Amino acid sequence: MSLLMRKASAQAQPTNAAHMVYMMNIRKAYNGKPVLKDINLTVEKGDVLAIIGPSGSGKSTLLRCLCHLESIDDGYIGVVGRTYASQDDVGTVSYVEGRNEREILSHMGMVFQQFNLFPHMTVLENLMEAPVHVKKMPKAEAQTVAMNMLTKVGLADHRDAYPAQLSGGQQQRVAIARALCMHPDIMLFDEPTSALDPELTGEVLRTMRQLADEHMTMLVVTHEMQFAREVASQVMFMADGVVVEKGTPDQIFDHPREARTKAFLSNRL
Amino acid sequence: MAHLMDMVLQMLAGTQVTLEIFLLTFVLVLPLGLLAALGRISSWRLVNGVLEFYIWIMRGTPLMLQLLFVYFALPMIGIKLPDIAAALLAFTLNYTAYFAEIFRAGIQAVPKGQYEAAHMLGMTRTQTMWRIVIPQMIRNVLPPMSNETINLVKDTSLIYILAMNDLLRVARSIVQREFDMTPFVVAAVFYLAMTLVLTWGFKRLERHYGRYVQ
Repeated sequence: MSLLMRKASAQAQPTNAAHMVYMMNIRKAYNGKPVLKDINLTVEKGDVLAIIGPSGSGKSTLLRCLCHLESIDDGYIGVVGRTYASQDDVGTVSYVEGRNEREILSHMGMVFQQFNLFPHMTVLENLMEAPVHVKKMPKAEAQTVAMNMLTKVGLADHRDAYPAQLSGGQQQRVAIARALCMHPDIMLFDEPTSALDPELTGEVLRTMRQLADEHMTMLVVTHEMQFAREVASQVMFMADGVVVEKGTPDQIFDHPREARTKAFLSNRL
Repeated sequence: MAHLMDMVLQMLAGTQVTLEIFLLTFVLVLPLGLLAALGRISSWRLVNGVLEFYIWIMRGTPLMLQLLFVYFALPMIGIKLPDIAAALLAFTLNYTAYFAEIFRAGIQAVPKGQYEAAHMLGMTRTQTMWRIVIPQMIRNVLPPMSNETINLVKDTSLIYILAMNDLLRVARSIVQREFDMTPFVVAAVFYLAMTLVLTWGFKRLERHYGRYVQ
């Protein structure tokens, strides 16, 4: 196929087979107020993308739109080469539904700011819930997977604790382990340390760093500049619903080109 | 002494009627209340509107009036129910409305983040409801449910107007026959015993469902 033809067909029906995440011309507004203004984003396998920016810049919304916790108004979303959200001829956006949606979601794990563990289940039950009831994995197997993940995040001896009996940092590590039990290809982090006491962020960041070292594809919305600088392969700076600047940590942190990036970073570093 | 024994035996028979009405109503109200609560939070406008109207009527008129309506007014339009069925119908309709509101509040108190976590793990709506939301709802609703359940035990005494021989009616007829106030005291003790058992049961349930809360 010639380059020209490829380009033409990409516009009609985006071909995104190579990309883990492919978001095209994303727009979203709340009550007429735009929060995402024509965002384009591709994430490749093994990328660790840190999304930074002031609050209200739309970075969390972008992440939540990617996994349909919010819906986009315009644009196209592909995940692991499959269409997740697309627009029909008259411009109406729809996400795929039901079984197809759950299949696409199975490629993504999400870690929330507020952990969102299931409080009525023990740590082990939290981890086994989806493998057993969504993936229909035999219980014994699910337990083995769960224990491996718990060991990985260093909480194997807390398997029978309830979330409320754990510290915030421990809860967040359990939440990471819970997402990993579904063997996702992409991990999404929505300000994973923002609800934690400063002395507890370290253990969560270490776990995330470990994941990055294992070449997990990660999208991390964060205010932890040091983490973004040291762990991310790509950094995206957002403000007012647009991507102001994107590049390697070195480019963004040491040689920012945009005035807004410079202003934001000078307050942070 | 033999006289007292005889009186207590009659009142035990009355207690049996009271307990029957109470238990049957309770068992019917739990699933119906939950169903109505789910309807109230559904996005289906019509179901929502109908249920809101139903709850307004049931909570807005006296239970006594509802009993009289079912027992005396329905037969006029050709619906003649046996005594116990009439009582059950009225109690169930009334209490379902209250339980629906309790369950609705209990469901709505479960944080949005729980639904989001379930969504990300690929759970269906039904799985999310049954495995994540409703177990947490149970803990939320136990205290108000305990209140309403105890009310139900005492409200069963309203069936005396349907000429059914429940605990209170038996007590009253003995009092009227023998000009002796003891049956009222005995009835009070019986009601207290029943509510004591319920209070204890709900306390245990609250402890069980509260085990995961710090």
